Amino acid sequence: MDCYTANWNPLGDSAFYRKYELYSMDWDLKEELRDCLVAAAPYGGPIALLRNPWRKEKAASVRPVLDIYSASGMPLASLLWKSGPVVSLGWSAEEELLCVQEDGAVLVYGLHGDFRRHFSMGNEVLQNRVLDARIFHTEFGSGVAILTGAHRFTLSANVGDLKLRRMPEVPGLQSAPSCWTVLCQDRVAHILLAVGPDLYLLDHAACSAVTPPGLAPGVSSFLQMAVSFTYRHLALFTDTGYIWMGTASLKEKLCEFNCNIRAPPKQMVCTHEFLHEVPAASEEIFKIASMAPGALLLEAQKEYEKESQKADEYLREIQELGQLTQAVQQCIEAAGHEHQPDMQKSLLRAASFGKCFLDRFPPDSFVHMCQDLRVLNAVRDYHIGIPLTYSQYKQLTIQVLLDRLVLRRLYPLAIQICEYLRLPEVQGVSRILAHWACYKVQQKDVSDEDVARAINQKLGDTPGVSYSDIAARAYGCGRTELAIKLLEYEPRSGEQVPLLLKMKRSKLALSKAIESGDTDLVFTVLLHLKNELNRGDFFMTLRNQPMALSLYRQFCKHQELETLKDLYNQDDNHQELGSFHIRASYAAEERIEGRVAALQTAADAFYKAKNEFAAKATEDQMRLLRLQRRLEDELGGQFLDLSLHDTVTTLILGGHNKRAEQLARDFRIPDKRLWWLKLTALADLEDWEELEKFSKSKKSPIGYLPFVEICMKQHNKYEAKKYASRVGPEQKVKALLLVGDVAQAADVAIEHRNEAELSLVLSHCTGATDGATADKIQRARAQAQKK
Amino acid sequence: MAAHLSYGRVNLNVLREAVRRELREFLDKCAGSKAIVWDEYLTGPFGLIAQYSLLKEHEVEKMFTLKGNRLPAADVKNIIFFVRPRLELMDIIAENVLSEDRRGPTRDFHILFVPRRSLLCEQRLKDLGVLGSFIHREEYSLDLIPFDGDLLSMESEGAFKECYLEGDQTSLYHAAKGLMTLQALYGTIPQIFGKGECARQVANMMIRMKREFTGSQNSIFPVFDNLLLLDRNVDLLTPLATQLTYEGLIDEIYGIQNTSEDFFDKLTVEQEFMSGIDTDKVNNYIEDCIAQKHSLIKVLRLVCLQSVCNSGLKQKVLDYYKREILQTYGYEHILTLHNLEKAGLLKPQTGGRNNYPTIRKTLRLWMDDVNEQNPTDISYVYSGYAPLSVRLAQLLSRPGWRSIEEVLRILPGPHFEERQPLPTGLQKKRQPGENRVTLIFFLGGVTFAEIAALRFLSQLEDGGTEYVIATTKLMNGTSWIEALMEKPF
Repeated sequence: MDCYTANWNPLGDSAFYRKYELYSMDWDLKEELRDCLVAAAPYGGPIALLRNPWRKEKAASVRPVLDIYSASGMPLASLLWKSGPVVSLGWSAEEELLCVQEDGAVLVYGLHGDFRRHFSMGNEVLQNRVLDARIFHTEFGSGVAILTGAHRFTLSANVGDLKLRRMPEVPGLQSAPSCWTVLCQDRVAHILLAVGPDLYLLDHAACSAVTPPGLAPGVSSFLQMAVSFTYRHLALFTDTGYIWMGTASLKEKLCEFNCNIRAPPKQMVCTHEFLHEVPAASEEIFKIASMAPGALLLEAQKEYEKESQKADEYLREIQELGQLTQAVQQCIEAAGHEHQPDMQKSLLRAASFGKCFLDRFPPDSFVHMCQDLRVLNAVRDYHIGIPLTYSQYKQLTIQVLLDRLVLRRLYPLAIQICEYLRLPEVQGVSRILAHWACYKVQQKDVSDEDVARAINQKLGDTPGVSYSDIAARAYGCGRTELAIKLLEYEPRSGEQVPLLLKMKRSKLALSKAIESGDTDLVFTVLLHLKNELNRGDFFMTLRNQPMALSLYRQFCKHQELETLKDLYNQDDNHQELGSFHIRASYAAEERIEGRVAALQTAADAFYKAKNEFAAKATEDQMRLLRLQRRLEDELGGQFLDLSLHDTVTTLILGGHNKRAEQLARDFRIPDKRLWWLKLTALADLEDWEELEKFSKSKKSPIGYLPFVEICMKQHNKYEAKKYASRVGPEQKVKALLLVGDVAQAADVAIEHRNEAELSLVLSHCTGATDGATADKIQRARAQAQKK
Repeated sequence: MAAHLSYGRVNLNVLREAVRRELREFLDKCAGSKAIVWDEYLTGPFGLIAQYSLLKEHEVEKMFTLKGNRLPAADVKNIIFFVRPRLELMDIIAENVLSEDRRGPTRDFHILFVPRRSLLCEQRLKDLGVLGSFIHREEYSLDLIPFDGDLLSMESEGAFKECYLEGDQTSLYHAAKGLMTLQALYGTIPQIFGKGECARQVANMMIRMKREFTGSQNSIFPVFDNLLLLDRNVDLLTPLATQLTYEGLIDEIYGIQNTSEDFFDKLTVEQEFMSGIDTDKVNNYIEDCIAQKHSLIKVLRLVCLQSVCNSGLKQKVLDYYKREILQTYGYEHILTLHNLEKAGLLKPQTGGRNNYPTIRKTLRLWMDDVNEQNPTDISYVYSGYAPLSVRLAQLLSRPGWRSIEEVLRILPGPHFEERQPLPTGLQKKRQPGENRVTLIFFLGGVTFAEIAALRFLSQLEDGGTEYVIATTKLMNGTSWIEALMEKPF
């Protein structure tokens, strides 16, 4: 480029516009652009072209064709238009192509020509047909505005959340307005329309006439109007060839212009050329004969490369003015606005050169600019075709740019960018890979195995990748088997199991739930299975899954007792069945017959379980129950549910010794325990005579110390002494001490020559009374030691 | 700050603060005045981490116990149910909510599941038509509650019964989750050792959960050097014996009246069993206890102790005890006996072989010369018997389990070792003389005597290992047996 500012055009006094070619379009267009419907997406987005939109013939050769190109003209998709006539095309903020048909239906396509969905603009539109339509963008999303054949407007401000709004009638509007546009002010969409020399502003409540300030007189009609991307500025083109430019609020005029062209352009699009206001930093630097610090720095660096001393002069000049920091900043900023890498480089080189002479220039802005430019240059590449400016990129954010690369299936570039910018995996690489995988599962020509393997190879255990999300997508595309294969890689059972259930793979879900150890998940699957399968199959499934079976038993124990029984039956678990019936014998039945019957069932089950002991014990229990019932009938009082031991005791306490004896014999209570039992009962009764008789009935199997103990417990020393004399030699000392006969205890201990006994007696010797005894023991000890 | 939690080698206050913060955050989500409706079972555990003052600061004005029918009147904006995820509780909540709806002015309902949200319960609420009534349905992962500077418990009463009797591993899942929380706060534990079926499962779940969390790399420097997971059923003996440390003794005799002589007789019998004397025949003392109808739990503890110390009783002996018990205490206890048998506490000797002496000798479980004033070995906590569980921990730290392979094979369940690799930056270089920190997790409960023994090991000057103890429940032999008892009426 000979002169850098050659493509600059002044706008008013203070601004320049520049225009340069981004790409030389490579598309192979046979038609004139004006014969096509064209829509270019903002922010360097794709371009859609509908050829022959107005042909209505049925012949395939002349049917409309929808082509989609990248901003650099690379073909992305081409499809034959088979739906109704299209009135207008436009791109949403999500880069979805909205095709507004004459009947008010809006068809939505992805940028690869894949049909996404459709929606209708309402009945009124359907009846009156679409005369004209506009796609517009607001901070909420993308909207559609429609002018119907009845000259009424209907709009939806966000097609993502479709709410149709019919605008009020324009009084006296008999024919279509000469031009109209959508304005967005204070977060509300309005319509500005021109009818002859009049302008009207339509909001959702009313229609009001408006007049642009400073409008030249003599206008009889507005032919075109255009609003800036930000809805801040408005341009009006009149039949007198006059252009009015001002704020969109119509409160202020910015400038006017007479171009002497009276015919309106049919359609205006700028795609392969780029026109924009020259940013301040660039203007400062490149303005002819600029003395701005940035300009001087750029010069200095150029001279430095030429090894000319002028470099030093320029530098000094900047430094003397104290503007070096500013100079560096200007160069960095201006680099951002340059499209040509060469220019970017020389500006950055200048910045870098200037930085060397600064002590503490924070490196961030320089580093970030280098990074941003690398990213921008990469996406601006002809093959990628996203010609974003630096400012657009900053507005869009890196996340949205990545989304757009993903939309274009440019996964490797997206990943390279993530890695280059060192984005955290979860926001960066993982997210891209997940998108890639979701695209991959839609490739129907690849086998399930291959897709699953390819995905796992690429994704591995990459953090933040949700295999269940990818599987859900596969399932959504009707590839259940693939979904199952993908779920194998999902480590989170909480995600895996519900999807498997949704895909009706309950048994697989069950084993996955079991693997996880999360019992709540297992329960959830179980209840699902219970409803899904018939009872037999359900039980069979459980049979092969011991852990699930245990859990289901737990559930039944609290919720469905009868089912619990069936489960035990199925498993031939007779032991548990026995216990089940034992419990049942207590739970429901009040009548003794019922209880006995339940116990009989229990006993039978125990026999089947080869648990002879439990069976016999249960039979004993039945016998005891019947007997207790009889005792209650014959003797009165409360016997039922006493233990055998307590039944015998109660009989003795009631003076029914014969019956007690009989019962003890019938149930073969061991002698020892029966003696303890009788002893305790008789002592409780304080029937000392009977106790003595009993003690003499035969030789006590428990000895006589317990007799002594129990009498003392009842504070009857007199009776206790009777038995103390009968206590065998081993426990004699203990017995004598119990009844308080310390002296005799000492004699016995001395006789036994038992040191432990001697110490025990000694410890019972208290104060003066037992003084003699204590001496006696000490003497005996001394003697024993002599020997 | 709870000062008692921060004196130890590992500052457990960090955990306490983390759970308190989580609670505060939840309470603040429900803006305005609130009433809490409590699952009664939770009030104990919550008391350990948040006093009423904390709740009050967050506008909790009323507290009720969860009961059927209507809620008591309360002029509050929010009603929050704090519940365990159990179906029967969902039914009660639904009843509360429905009767409240009829009452008039609407309040905001919320539900806080402790320790985990449950699809099953939410489905039940949905079936009962009240799921939509709850604005916030969240979980509060209160798994491990700090009790002391070196002690954590899940306070899960039923854990042992559920795991070893009913095949319900819910508490193991919570244990694994609790361990993940600990690792999130104290770093990944590089080595996991374990013995027992449940231990194996918890380790498996932990490894699985770690896989689920890939991505959120834990960058905390590990505080614990290793984790030892121990099944309670690897050592059924220790809790059965009467604890003889100060704390243990208080725990044992609290609420039990015993004459000192009888207490002494009982100890003598216990010690005989543990040292291997006369474990194979009917014991006179036990017989007399039954005949005198001493407390059934005491009898069961002794019979079980004898069974465990003899690797099961001869069928004749076992049947004799069982018959005596059923005749004396009632036939309904056949269910309790059945439970004890299922848990392996009471069993017939199979193969006619008693393995206990081998275990006792190899692990030196019985020490004849115990110095209770200045103990040199953990056996002081039972006056001669060294708790098997603690011995296993001690041998693991030095010289390692390889030396006791034979015994490990006799004890139930697999023993294993897992490594959790750490990024090089987090690998520890131990200073000479610096002790290792082992987290020992008792699945199915731990006794105070075992805690005392582990603390003793921690304090040993040349011990080399300090222990932090975690468990599903703090227990003693009595509470343990009681939980296994079944009273059908």
